[in-house]
Amino acid sequence: MVSPLTRKLERDVRRHKAQFIAVAVTMFLGVMLFAASYDSFQNLRASYDAAHIEYRFANLTIAGGDVEAIAAGAAATSGVESAHFRTVADVPLQVDGTKLLGRVVGMPAGDQPAVNQVKVLEGSYLDASLPEGVLVEEHMAEHFGLGPGDSVAVLAEAGWIETRVVGVVASPEYIWPARDRQNIITSPDNFGVVFGGEALAERLGVGGPNEVVLYYAGGEPDDALTARLTEDAWASGAGSVMTRDLQAGNAALEEDLKGFEEMGLFFPVLFLAAASMAAYVTISRLVAAQRPYIGVLLANGFTRRQVLRHYLGYGLLPGLVGSIPGAIAGVLLARLITSLYTDLLAIPITLIEFYPVTLAVAVGFGLLASLLAALAPALVASRVEPALAMRGETPSGGGKPSIPERVIPPMRRLPLTWRMAMRGVERNPRRTTYTIVGVVLSLMLVLVSWGMIDTIEHLMDRQFVEIQREDASVYFAEPLGGGGADALESVDGIAEAEPVLEVPVSFVVADRHYDTALVVMEADTSMHAFASSTGEWVTLPAEGLLVGSALEELLEIGPGDTVQVSIPGLGLSIEETVAGFIDEPLGTMSYVSRDRAEELAGTSLPATSAMIRYNAGADPAAIRAEVTELPQVAAFEDAKAIYNVMQDLMVLFYAFVGVMLVFGAAMAFALIFSAMSVNISERSREIATLLAVGTERRAISRYITGENMLVALLGIPIGLVVGYYMSKAAMATFSSDLFAFDLYVRPSTFLFAALAILGVALLSQWPGLRALRRIDIPRYIKERSA
Amino acid sequence: MSIVMKDVWKTYGEGHTAVHALRSVDLDVAGGGFTVILGPSGSGKTTMLNLLGAIDFPTQGTLQVDGIDLANLGTDTRVDFRRNHIGIVFQFFNLIPTLTALENIELVANLTMQDGIEQSRRALEQVGLTDRMDHFPAQLSGGEQQRVAIARALVKAPPILLCDEPTGELDFETGRMIIGQLRQLNRDNGQTVLLVTHNAAIGDVADRVIRLRSGGIVDDVRHESPRDPAELAW
Repeated sequence: MVSPLTRKLERDVRRHKAQFIAVAVTMFLGVMLFAASYDSFQNLRASYDAAHIEYRFANLTIAGGDVEAIAAGAAATSGVESAHFRTVADVPLQVDGTKLLGRVVGMPAGDQPAVNQVKVLEGSYLDASLPEGVLVEEHMAEHFGLGPGDSVAVLAEAGWIETRVVGVVASPEYIWPARDRQNIITSPDNFGVVFGGEALAERLGVGGPNEVVLYYAGGEPDDALTARLTEDAWASGAGSVMTRDLQAGNAALEEDLKGFEEMGLFFPVLFLAAASMAAYVTISRLVAAQRPYIGVLLANGFTRRQVLRHYLGYGLLPGLVGSIPGAIAGVLLARLITSLYTDLLAIPITLIEFYPVTLAVAVGFGLLASLLAALAPALVASRVEPALAMRGETPSGGGKPSIPERVIPPMRRLPLTWRMAMRGVERNPRRTTYTIVGVVLSLMLVLVSWGMIDTIEHLMDRQFVEIQREDASVYFAEPLGGGGADALESVDGIAEAEPVLEVPVSFVVADRHYDTALVVMEADTSMHAFASSTGEWVTLPAEGLLVGSALEELLEIGPGDTVQVSIPGLGLSIEETVAGFIDEPLGTMSYVSRDRAEELAGTSLPATSAMIRYNAGADPAAIRAEVTELPQVAAFEDAKAIYNVMQDLMVLFYAFVGVMLVFGAAMAFALIFSAMSVNISERSREIATLLAVGTERRAISRYITGENMLVALLGIPIGLVVGYYMSKAAMATFSSDLFAFDLYVRPSTFLFAALAILGVALLSQWPGLRALRRIDIPRYIKERSA
Repeated sequence: MSIVMKDVWKTYGEGHTAVHALRSVDLDVAGGGFTVILGPSGSGKTTMLNLLGAIDFPTQGTLQVDGIDLANLGTDTRVDFRRNHIGIVFQFFNLIPTLTALENIELVANLTMQDGIEQSRRALEQVGLTDRMDHFPAQLSGGEQQRVAIARALVKAPPILLCDEPTGELDFETGRMIIGQLRQLNRDNGQTVLLVTHNAAIGDVADRVIRLRSGGIVDDVRHESPRDPAELAW
């Protein structure tokens, strides 16, 4: 048996269905976003973890030193399940005449290694009877269309070796095919990985096994064990020690996952706050309009608790209607997102599970938000004084001139309708506040999404246009003197070539280490610009290093401090001062002038590569073809290739921002629509009176529009400021030594975001203004309370 | 300014739920008089006023004000009619709370004139509220609010003034003062006043009293010597 109060609730909601639908839809979006992003995060986390365990992804990777001794020591350490040492060589590869930077990872032939196994996607695993056989990592295989039976040339000490592809594989190390932490984003045209037998890897001139990979018990991280093993590794002369978290490809994926986790909280909270506000505004209006009936209920013996429960129901009902389908839709959407995402990134294992907790928590969040929204008006209802309420007198605030009129008295001479609009803004401060907050929340959503696009586009521009000024890098088969670069200038279409020496280094300050690359360039290089962390463009100093600004915090150093620089490739360990910090969007590199480097080394230094710049109008493909043919050239890296990879990745961002803009518009519409509908319904008698005395509907529409747009306008600057700082905070969470996401928002973005929200505000009035046409003048002019 | 109603019906709803608020009303009101329409709740008083004010449509019949057929007016011309021919005084005053007394009047004055501020001041002066012109409605007593409402209705100098229970929300003294003021304005300006009330005593001050019951006219009395409002008592 449904109680009369429940029937009243149902009918009231039906009567105000547009407002309650707006609340339910916003609630639906918030809950759906939460469930979708949180479940996607959990599915991806589970998929990564499962892949790590299935393919025994190393917990710790140690490079350099006496690897056999380090592996033996580690294997004997409690907590280490498997230790394996291997040869890893960064050597040029050649596929169908295209030379690219490559990596050959040594694997035992016949059986998979105990650590860092691969998933064979096509063909078969390495066979001892085929010593020249290799497995090609899937990104490279896909790009070049490689499969079993094809060949890949590898540059060994003795020259190019023709290898035979026996399989295509996925590796937990290269799910995201990063070359290293300084080169997180690579183009398959420029970088590829192949796995070959140890015998092959050892022919590549790196002097035998050079890396130890360790897998802990159950694959679980263990900080204490890592600390102990790290200490032992340093003691055994290791050049670098890297945990699974720091491994370049995995770190990039983790950054991405972190994004899911943060977005999984940020956007739903925004939507649920918006839904709460829309519910609050609607229910408050309902309570105000029903004061006489509430008085009657109380006078007839209903308890205040019953009244409280009844009005909480107005929150609960749209909360349930929005949350339950929202949670279900979110969970289903998460399945789709997870499979699309794991397909896109080629995660070896995709785990899609049902998490009942997500469903429960999502519905719980929705209900909590709706109950909180209803609580204040329900309390107001329960505290109504029956005698006063039944007289139908709503306590009303006195009118007064608006703040602008009080502050600037000449404004009192503005046209009357302008003054009405200005005073209307202050008439119901709570509703005005909520409309403003609605505008602010919507702008936050739009700016955070749009700010990401702007920032990334700006950073790409900064990295690939302002900082990296070369058109391409040419890697030499073996280090050459400066003449190697000069020879390139004779290639038709190349305007300039500069020698570069890039060597892996490890910075050490007290017990803090950081592995990066040291780039030795001409003091007056025109191929690279250096942006100091204080904002100016600087040149390479005569003395000292320029290092990425992330090191300031990671190594706890400042300008003028001395760091120990270990250069395993040159067998050198030197001390040098930090001349300054530079801001580069990608990676954390270090730079020194060639003169200073040679002074420190006490000898002239060769070049491992050259940066080149094309003549205007030159054909890059023809230059690449000609340069690649040169015998001293091992690989050619087109600077634009990475830029293009980034552009491809941007498509995902554009889709994301597009969805967020639609959601933001929906949220803004729901919020502003609720506030404005209430605005119009609250003053029905006033509007009916104006109509009765002969005011045109158009004039009333203009006046109401003016007032509502004024409120929206008040929210715009606040929204832009709050949105900016929110975006800054959001981007900061993605910043690390891998990427420096300093927020950049184009001025036009502020303008378009503001115009978009104003457009939505204008549109959201339309249903209310349409209702003006149907207003029942005889009914409202006889209504007692306003 | 004559008012003519012939066989006017106003029906709300349809079929079994139909309610006949007015049933075949015939009425002829000459210009310049002070007419009181009396009747209990639900008798059709306010409906009649709404029809005369072009706020509502008759379901059937002929309704003419100064020769204008209100039953067949379009939306815009109804607005024009209300703007140029009618002043309305409501039971609950219906002042805009965010406008001062003077601004409430000015708002309506500006509908028919370029700059209605002077006329608004004069209208306020007519109802004796010059010293309260900058007060907002919430700062005025009920009687003062109703006087502002009267001034608002008068400022356009409409030929017809429609008053719907103008004393319904006021105490006796204030109510009597309002009736006195309306009567005086009627005499001074020559406007046709139609006042709806359920208070029979008010009928004594009118030139004509029309009684309604269940949507029909049951009585129509003309007073040769209406009483002075100061003598009113209820």
